[in-house]
Amino acid sequence: MKSADTAPAPLVAERLTKTYSDKNALDGIDLSVPADHVVGLLGRNGAGKTTLLQLAAGILLPTSGSCRTLGQRSDLLDTPQLSRLGLVPQEGRFIEWMTAAQHLDFTASFYPTWDRDLQRRLVGILEVPLGQKIAHLSTGDRQKVGILLGVCHRPALLLLDEPMSSLDPIARARMLDVLLERLRDDGCTVVISSHILNDVEKIVDWVVALDAGRVTENAPFDELQENFAEWTVTSTNGGLPAAFAEPFVLRHQGDARQALLRVRTADPEAAARFAAAHHVQISTRPLNLDEMFPLLIAQRRDAQ
Amino acid sequence: MLLVIDHHNGVPAYRQIMDQIKLQIAAGVLPAGTEMVSTRSLSAELSLNPMTISKAYGLLEREGVLERRRGQTLVVRALAAGEQQSSKLEPLRQHLASAAVLARQLGISREQALKLFRETLSSSQ
Repeated sequence: MKSADTAPAPLVAERLTKTYSDKNALDGIDLSVPADHVVGLLGRNGAGKTTLLQLAAGILLPTSGSCRTLGQRSDLLDTPQLSRLGLVPQEGRFIEWMTAAQHLDFTASFYPTWDRDLQRRLVGILEVPLGQKIAHLSTGDRQKVGILLGVCHRPALLLLDEPMSSLDPIARARMLDVLLERLRDDGCTVVISSHILNDVEKIVDWVVALDAGRVTENAPFDELQENFAEWTVTSTNGGLPAAFAEPFVLRHQGDARQALLRVRTADPEAAARFAAAHHVQISTRPLNLDEMFPLLIAQRRDAQ
Repeated sequence: MLLVIDHHNGVPAYRQIMDQIKLQIAAGVLPAGTEMVSTRSLSAELSLNPMTISKAYGLLEREGVLERRRGQTLVVRALAAGEQQSSKLEPLRQHLASAAVLARQLGISREQALKLFRETLSSSQ
C-alpha cells in the first residue's frame, strides 16, 4: 500500500466558490483530500456536496478560487487526468436507447484501461440486466449502470455522489464490498457523499463535513470516534449547574441530579478532571456517525 | 480467527479488532506463534477498509502483542508469565470499571457490590 503521507493530494480546493444566481453553493472552501483514503462527504441537502464533486470533475466551473484534481486545474482536465478519474453522479445521464450492454461497450471504447473482467464480475455481483434498454431500467438498475460506468476503467480518484440512494440493502452491501475490493487492488482514493450514514460508517476512514457551503469538519474518522462521546453525568451532591462552562461540552440536557452531555475532547483525563471539579460520576460511551452528524455540521461555522 | 465488528457502536473498528485479538490471546484461543490472517484477506472477510486492518496490526505490533517473523508474517508473541497474568486481568478490569461507576450511580455499597460479584462468580461456575 502506498503511504498516505507522501502521496500528493488528489483533490485540492483553494478559496473555492460557486455561486448560483445570488446564492453561494460553495463559500470559499479550502480543502485537501488525502490520497488513498475513503473520504465521506457529509452534509445536509443543499450543503454543497454535489457542487463540490461536480467542480472536482470539471463538470462545473468555479465562480472564483480554484480546484485541482489529480494535480491539474479541474477546469482544464484533459485526457490523461480524465482517464484516471471516475464520477458516479446521483442521477446518471445515459444514452437512453442503448441497452446496458451497449452502453458499457460504448463508454469502454473511450478508456484504454477499461477492465473487461472487472465489468463482467460487477455485472454479476450487482445483477445488472444487460439486455434491457436504459430507458426501461428501474431507478436502482440505472444507478448500478452508473456505478459500472464510473469504476470499470479503474480510476485513481473515484467521486461518488449518493451512489447507493436507490439500491436495496443487499445491493448496497455488495456495492460497499466492490469499493473495498477496488481499494485493495488499486489503492485508489474515494470520495463518497451519502445520506445513508450507516453505510458510510462501514467504509470511510476520513470525514469531510459541509454546511451551507463551508467546511465544518475535516478529520480522520477514527479520531472523531475517539473524541466525541456522550457522558451520563450523575451528581453526588444533587447540585448540577444548568450549564457547564467547559468548551468541550457541545450539548447539555438534564436536571440538577443527572445530565446527558455530548462532548468532544482528545484529552483522556478530561472526564476524570470534570468529575472531580463538579463532584459527579461519569459514565461515557462513544457516538456513532448518526449521533455525531448534527455536531459535525454545527461546529466552527464562524471560525472557518 | 473470528472477529465481529459492530459498525454502529461508535468504537473505531481498528480498536475493536485490537481488543478482540487481545482478548482471544488472553483466553488462549490464539496461542503464541499463531499466524495472523493477511491484511488483505481480513479486510475482505470483515468488509473493512484495508487501512483499518493495517492500523490495528501496526499498533498491536508496537504494543508487543504481535511480532513479525521471517520478515513478513505477523504472529502472536509469546508472553512472559507476569505478562500473561496482566493480559488476562486487563479486560476484566475494564469491565469492572464500568460496573463500579454503575454501582456508585445506583448507590450500591461497596460490600453489597463485592457480595454480588462473589455470588455471580459462583453461580456461573
